[in-house]
Amino acid sequence: MTDSPTLLPSRSPLAALALGWLIPGGGHAYGGQWGKAILFFSLVTGLLVAGMAIGGGTVILYRLWLVAQLCAGGPTIALWPISQYLAPSHAEVDWASRWHDVGTLYTAVAGLLNLLVMMDAYLRLAYPERGKENA
Amino acid sequence: MWDAIAGFFADLVSLSNPLWLYYPLCAVVAVVYKTTKLDDPRKIALGAVHFFVSVSLGMFGLGLAFYLISQIF
Repeated sequence: MTDSPTLLPSRSPLAALALGWLIPGGGHAYGGQWGKAILFFSLVTGLLVAGMAIGGGTVILYRLWLVAQLCAGGPTIALWPISQYLAPSHAEVDWASRWHDVGTLYTAVAGLLNLLVMMDAYLRLAYPERGKENA
Repeated sequence: MWDAIAGFFADLVSLSNPLWLYYPLCAVVAVVYKTTKLDDPRKIALGAVHFFVSVSLGMFGLGLAFYLISQIF
């Protein structure tokens, strides 16, 4: 992005990791990369909300998927009560619906993408000299 | 067999089939992944398009191959 690619070295990488979990893109904002932070927040949170809408709101439940979904941190925790409210027990979920599967996939991918974003924020602060333009 | 292959393509873009939701998902993954790797917006855009096309073609080829195998056996 157009904001500074070299982050402030005095900032704590672990704080960036924690902030990135709490708010997608928070780690980049903490490091001064506001453009990337806004982009990551929009995409990760948008994917999570889209997944909830596609899956009928009952996609964040006590299942193995939750491990991936929880990587999106704050937004997942904020949306979790909605799923619990709409489906207090698993019997009320339409497991045969393909839309429910896609919604679950969206939310899980949002979590895994946020894990990638968190690691990027951490590495940029932990290793500021590391070349980034190599992909 | 050709009817079945045509049906595969027709169903892939049908709004009633949630498979079309793969495209925005792949686009988001491409943009996020390339943004973590690159800093220049132009390189990010080009890299994301390249990523999206490569992964889509790969997934499409894989899906078609599995579909043909399922039709043959």
